[in-house]
Order: sequence, then structure tokens, then C-alpha cells
Amino acid sequence: MSSMPEEQSSAAFLGNVREALLETDKVQRRDMLGLFMPLLRDAAVNQFDQFNNLRKQVKDVKQHTLDNLHHYLSQFEKEALNNGNQVHFARDSSEMNSIVLGICQSHHTQRVVKGKSMVTEETRLLHHLQRADLSVVETDLGEYIIQQAKETPSHIVGPALHKSVDEIRELFLQKHDLGERELKGPPEMVAEARSVLREHFLNADVGIIGSNALIAENGYSMLVTNEGNGDLCANLPKVMIICTTLDRVVPRTSDAMAALRLLVRSATGQPISNYTSFYSGPRREGDVDGPTETHFVLLDNKRSDILASDYREMLQCIRCGACLNHCPIYIGVGGHAYGSVYMGPMGSILTPLLHSLEEAQALPDACTACGRCEEVCPSSIPLPDLLRDLRHEKSREKLTPRRWRLGIKTHAWLLARPRLYHKLSGLGIPVLAWLGRKKGSFKSLMLANGWTDQRDFPAPQGKTFMQQYDAQRKADDASR
Amino acid sequence: MQREADTRVNERKNTSSVPGFNVALYVTCLVDLFRPSVAFDTIALLERVGCKVSVPTQQSCCGQPSYNSGDYESTIPLAQQVIKAFESADYVVVPSGSCAGMITHHYPKLLEGAWRERALTLAAKTFELTTFLAEIAQMQEPFEDGVQLPSVTYHDSCAGLRELGIRAQPRDLLKKLRNTEVKELSQTEVCCGFGGTFCAKMPELSGKMTSDKLDAALATEAQILAGGDMGCLMNIAGRAKRLGKTIEVRHVAELLAGNLSKPAIGEGKS
Amino acid sequence: MPHDSARTEIMGKLQRVCQNAQPENIYAQLNSLGEAPAPILPSSQLCEIFLINVLKNQGTVACARDRSEAVKAVADHLHSRFRTRKLVTGNDPRLAAMPWRDGAVLPRFGAAEQGDNASLSYARIGIAETGSIVTYTGKSNPAANNFLVEDHIVLVDTANLVATLDHAWTQINKDQDKAGRPRGINFISGPSSTADIEAQLVKGAHGPRNWHVILLGDVPENALKNAQNAIEALLNN
Repeated sequence: MSSMPEEQSSAAFLGNVREALLETDKVQRRDMLGLFMPLLRDAAVNQFDQFNNLRKQVKDVKQHTLDNLHHYLSQFEKEALNNGNQVHFARDSSEMNSIVLGICQSHHTQRVVKGKSMVTEETRLLHHLQRADLSVVETDLGEYIIQQAKETPSHIVGPALHKSVDEIRELFLQKHDLGERELKGPPEMVAEARSVLREHFLNADVGIIGSNALIAENGYSMLVTNEGNGDLCANLPKVMIICTTLDRVVPRTSDAMAALRLLVRSATGQPISNYTSFYSGPRREGDVDGPTETHFVLLDNKRSDILASDYREMLQCIRCGACLNHCPIYIGVGGHAYGSVYMGPMGSILTPLLHSLEEAQALPDACTACGRCEEVCPSSIPLPDLLRDLRHEKSREKLTPRRWRLGIKTHAWLLARPRLYHKLSGLGIPVLAWLGRKKGSFKSLMLANGWTDQRDFPAPQGKTFMQQYDAQRKADDASR
Repeated sequence: MQREADTRVNERKNTSSVPGFNVALYVTCLVDLFRPSVAFDTIALLERVGCKVSVPTQQSCCGQPSYNSGDYESTIPLAQQVIKAFESADYVVVPSGSCAGMITHHYPKLLEGAWRERALTLAAKTFELTTFLAEIAQMQEPFEDGVQLPSVTYHDSCAGLRELGIRAQPRDLLKKLRNTEVKELSQTEVCCGFGGTFCAKMPELSGKMTSDKLDAALATEAQILAGGDMGCLMNIAGRAKRLGKTIEVRHVAELLAGNLSKPAIGEGKS
Repeated sequence: MPHDSARTEIMGKLQRVCQNAQPENIYAQLNSLGEAPAPILPSSQLCEIFLINVLKNQGTVACARDRSEAVKAVADHLHSRFRTRKLVTGNDPRLAAMPWRDGAVLPRFGAAEQGDNASLSYARIGIAETGSIVTYTGKSNPAANNFLVEDHIVLVDTANLVATLDHAWTQINKDQDKAGRPRGINFISGPSSTADIEAQLVKGAHGPRNWHVILLGDVPENALKNAQNAIEALLNN
């Protein structure tokens, strides 16, 4: 039985941030990512001149779908059953895990190959199956690497991007019993992973994959990959299990195509992924390969609650990762700091909703409201607004420290009384200006420790504007 | 992202002509307290294009600190205060992208019913300074006061950039009015790390972001770093001082008005 | 059964939250949202656009006027890559009827197995918008033939080229009306690749390392040359 990484928690976020900023080589790698991923995305979007119109239409259809999710989910279920699948519903993570384990055990499964699926990370399916003594291998290269390293993903699209070539070489040399060899660079490592994993694909009993869209009108599941590993999982083993959440439903194939055009451009800057596949069910007459038994496991895990809440727009997320790539906080501190399966702007919203605001309370504050995430979100989710709403909830639930809340309230109270405010600032500001007149700034300033921790505080010029303007006006009146 | 406020603002931009109009100046709390010369420079620019400028006294702050901290309840009275004080003007001009964005984009989100309507009406006539000068007043004539600006690089503050689309306007004005071509810094779209309360909540990360922005500005070898938002400018200037780096940080209003007489942000009299 | 109660509970929750309109009204609402804006192709030269996009997708291309030329193109590729002319190909009547001897190609008909270097698929559709080919699983093209080999060679008839992803689905839906839904529909738009190691792009992570597309039929004279020039221009920028 292999030991898995500890269950993560976002409660340690601020401490994690401090550590993350000290790891200079990782910081450098992230800075590179923060520079290049946006360029790739911009190039792809600029080449597709209909991008913004497409975004609008896709948003409208998705919101309509969520408004009628019961109808579309029922339609999908009906079509999927007609296509010969078994369809299971799971209320929460442990139910999903039990269902999947149950299917595996009913086939006396020993070996499982797995494609990339954030939902299965969310439920910790790998851990659950391994505890039941099944051999489970992640086949997406990034997921394989972190599985071997016993780590968690640092990015929802590129889970191992935090690891250096040297670290991965060390890992492969250690984990693959293949004798003396050099493993010069990524091409050699990929080739080695290819041959190691090939054996698993060929001998697995069960293949587990995720889904990028569940198409209601025909019961197809769309799978988007660049490696083709998901397709190997979906075509070679005798049993296939598709694990996903119920908000993945789209009404028609055309809606899946529209989303596809946005998804890949936003995620990697490609117009389309190398492999876009549509799987309908088990072997038909005429099939010479493919699973003989196929299952859908549809997870709720708070999605229906989110649907009923003010955060329902979060369900429009297609997991492209663009918001991560453009977020200065994510790029600054990396995915692991978030202590959650989901990170960056989308993770800072989802994690409190899936776990608790109390546990994840640091996340909504990890935001400068720069708005870059919303600008690039293909699903038009108002991420900064949702983050602010979570900060509002934090404030209401008194999770924000008392002195902050009181400070903000007091400041606002004073600002709502301009005459008093002008009087008080008219007294204090000129004093501050006089104190800072030579140097022009303060190395430390009462009540501004957060600021002065990292920067000097510029001194005021002199009297406040309102003081000066008032004086000017009085002088003008007097001279008439 | 098209908002209702944007439609009304765009209508306003197409039907305006300025001389003689009553413009109410929204000073912003940071300009009021830390750099009043920016407000005086703003008034000078507005009067130059023929506006009659007034300064409503019942103003203090647009409410961003409480709003962004999630205290909507404390922000609502501030929003109502701004609306009441300014809604009678023909135009409201704001030397800050974030404050202008707060008024035009967020007040309508914060308020309901009749107040929301009043917020939308106010939004339609509220403009950040460079947008007003470039698009409403359509300032084109070069100044002939003999002021030569040294080399300038420019910081695009996030709210102004993304909520109000401010990017070309300050550059066009600097070119036309002051014959100054902005030396672009790299990764202009990345946040400077101020973020209101963020800089206090995550100081190390904020410090790194500010350093990155400062380094990008220094790499242009421009003498002046200009921008339209005091929060960002004070942030970058303060970081420069702390790290012992030399760059003159000024508000774009000062450059357009040709007023380099005051020490730059964070600079003392010595 | 525990799973039934999960379904009941979830569907119950959704019903309470959703609009619960009549299906006809839901359908009408969906239609009122219109169609997604179609991508605008730079011209109507589908062959040229298809070839450019296949090349952009890290594929290699060849053109053939007839099946004999196609077989020779296949042979060229096999020989340059493997020094043999063996491949595996599906039980597709079109493939059975290919003049294999014209290229001295030695096909094995069936599903690819571990160890097979090359496979040949006769695509159902080629898509210009994205430089993709479409295959259905089945004995004409077992899924293994798309994924297990080192080199995947694909034949596409010019007559089966369509402009966009949506046009492809119009054709797929017609095929489904006649023959039912295939188990799997694969849109392939490149060789397998990954950038999971320090974001460096490497081909051949699990799926084929090489993807060679042969466009068969009336290809306009300059299509291939124009496509190659366009790619070179992109690389030089």
C-alpha cells in the first residue's frame, strides 16, 4: 500500500505563501509561466476573431442549461442508458469512491489505468482504490509524475509544472527499474514514461477517465486530451468508468463544439487539442476493441447547493486554467500554497464552497481585484465579484479579524461625515507632512504596518486639498 | 464586458461638447490627503478647455476600502453620499481610474431600486480624467508653455485598464499636448501589487509584485514613471524608496499640466 | 438500493432549484439563444486550409491524385521511417481494394497490437477549420489503430473535406441516422504530445509520435506549395 500525500487544507495558506516565495528556482519557473501562458492564449484568441461573440453565446447557453439542469441531466441519463451505459449518482465524494470501487471489485479488478480528472482528485479516488489494494496508475504524464513523487497537483491543467527537469529525472531514475541510463532531457523522459505506461495500458482491467462535456441530446461524453492517454484508457481495458460532476451537461453537440473552441485556446493556446473524442457506450456490433461494460458516475458534491446559491455562475467553469495563468497571486505563490485541488481565482471561490469558508478563509483575500481573471475567463464568470462576495460573507460571519472589521467600519463611519473627516484630516495631515518633509516618506507609520513592511510610506505634500481649496474660496469670497 | 453603465457612458461620449459645462471635481481621498497638487493641476486642465469647475464639499471617499473588504453595508452610505453630492453636475471628473470605476461600475451593483437608477445616471456622466480630456474635451492642441518633459514610462492601473478601457488616452494626450512618446514598460497588464488591503494582507507577495513592476519601469530608463492612480503610484514610489532605487513617480495630471515644480511622490524637499 | 436513493435525492434537489418548464418551452428558449458564431475561414480553399492546419498541428502531409499515388505516398513514408513497408489497417472495404502492390506495401488487416510501428486509417471526414480527421471505431478502424502505433498514417478524400467542426457533425449525424451511433468518434488533430515537463513540448506521449496525413483526390495545383510557404512564413516571423 503506497502512502498518499496528506489530505490538504487551505488553512495553512498564508504560511505556505511565505515559504513558496523563498523557493527561488520555483519562483523563476512560475514567472516564466506567467509570462508565456498569457502570450500563447492571446495569440490563439487574436487569431479567432469571433472569440468575444462566442463567449457571450456560450455563457447564455450555459446559464440556460443550469436553469434547466434537471431537464438536461434527465435527458442525458436517458440517452446514456439507451446507449448501453450504466449510470450512477453520487451525493458526495465517499459515495463516488464507493461506487467506483464497487464496480472494480465486482470484476475482481487488480489493475486500473486512470486519465486526468480533477473530479477524482476532489474525491481522492486514487487513495480510496489503493487502500483497497488495487494497483492504480495515473496515465497523464503530469499526473503520473506527481503520483510517483507522492505530491498533489500544482495546476489544474499541468499538474507537474512545478517540478524541474532535474527533479523529474531523479524521480524516474529512482522509480523505474531500468538500469543505467542517462535521461538527458524531456524527450528521453517522455519516451521512458511512454514505454513504462504502455505496459499498464495493455494489461489494465479497468480504465477511469473524466469528461469535458456530457451531451444531453445523444448521451455522448466528450474527452479532450493532447497525449491520447485518456483514449487508451477508454479503449483498451474491458471496463470503462467515466467520473464527472452533474454540471458538465450541455444540451447539444453544437454547444460542446462551441465550448471546445473556447476551452483549448484558453488552456494552452491551441485551436483544438490533439485528441477530441466522443464515447457513447460499450462495444457495439462491429467493434473489435473497446470496453464491454461502461459506467457513468455523476457526482453532486455540493454542486446542487451552489446552483441554488448566489455563486451559481461558478458552475460555468470549464477548468481551462486560464485564470490561474493570469493571476498574479497564483503565479507568485504557486498552486500548492492553496492547499486544495482547485487553486488560483477559480479555486479561491470553489474551495470555500466545497469545504467551508472558515477553513478556506484566507483564499478570497488572496486577490488584488486586478480583474485579469475575468478578462480571460472563457465562461464569462465574474470572478472578482464572486471573490468579493465571499469576503462579504467572511465579514458577516465575523471571520475577518475584529480589528480589521472595526477599522474598516470606523473609517467608513468617519468618511460618511465629510465635515468631521475634513476637520480631522486637516489637523493630522499637515503634521504628518511636516514630519516627513525632508525625507519625503516614512520607514514606519502607525497603523500602516502591512504597508511599511515592504515599502516606505510617501509623506503628504502639506495641507489637504479640501483645506487649501476651502481657504482659497474663502479668500475669493472675501475679496469680492 | 458590456454593462448597463457602459451603454449610457458611451451615449454620453457621443453627444457632448464641453465649453461652459459644469464639471464637478471628485478629488479622491488619496489626492486630497497626500497630493493636492494633482487636484489643482486637474482643475487647471479642465478650465483650460473651458469647463466651470466646482468642488462639492460633501465628498470624502468613494468607498473602495470597505467595498473591497466585503463590507457592503458600510459602503452604501458612502455611495449615496457621492450620488447626492454630484448628480447635479453636467460632468464629474475623477483623477483616478479605480475611483471612477467604483462610481460607474460598482455603485449600480451595490444599490437597488431608485438609488440604482440615480447611480446609473451619475455613471453616465462620470469620467476618469484622461478619458474626459481625450474623448469628451478632445484636447489636441500642444501646450506652448515651454515645458519639456523628460522621458516617461507609464503604469496602467488595473481598474482603469479593465473596467474603463484606459490605455490609449493618457498616451495620446502626452503625445499631442506634450510631444512625449511613452517608453513602454514590459508586462504592462500585470498588477503592481497594491490591491488596496492586499498589500497589508500578503505583504511579501505584494512586495515582490511591486518590485517586479518597479524593475520593469527602471528597465525602460525613463526618468519619470507616470500613472493615473495615486494608490499604485504611492505603492511603487514607496517601494523604490525602500530599495534605494531612483525614479521620479508622478501623476499624469502633473505631466499634462506641465507642473514639475513639486517633489515627486515620496520625494522630500532635500 | 443506496444508489437509487442518491439519484432521488439529487434529482429532487435539482427539481426544487430549476425552472421546471415544459420541455417544449425549454427547447424554444434554447433555440431563441441562436447559434454560436461560426469561425470565419480565410478562404474557400478547403484543401489548402486543411493542409496548413495539419502542418500547424505538427503533422506531416502529402497529396495523391489517385489510390495508386496514395499507396506510393504511404510506401514512401514507411520506408523513410522504418525501412520496411509493413502496416496494420482496418477491415474497411476501401482499404481492402487499395492497389497495395503499386507501393509494395504489406498490410495486415485488423487491430494494431503492441509492436506495430505503423497503421493506416481511412478517415471519414477531414476538417479544414482545425486540421482534423475524424474516424469511427469499428472493424473499419479499430481504436487501437489510432492510438497504439508509432506512426499513424491517415488517408482523407478531398470529397470528404468539410469547412468546420459543425459541418463535420452534420455529416456525422447523417451517418448516425443510417448506421446508429458508433462506440467512439475520434477527432484527431496532431500526433500525441505533452508539455507536462517544464512546459517543453514533446511528441509521442502515449499516442502516436508521428501523424502523416495524405490528401487524396482533386487537390488544387498549388495547395500543397501554398500551405508549405504559409508555414514557413509563420516560422520566420
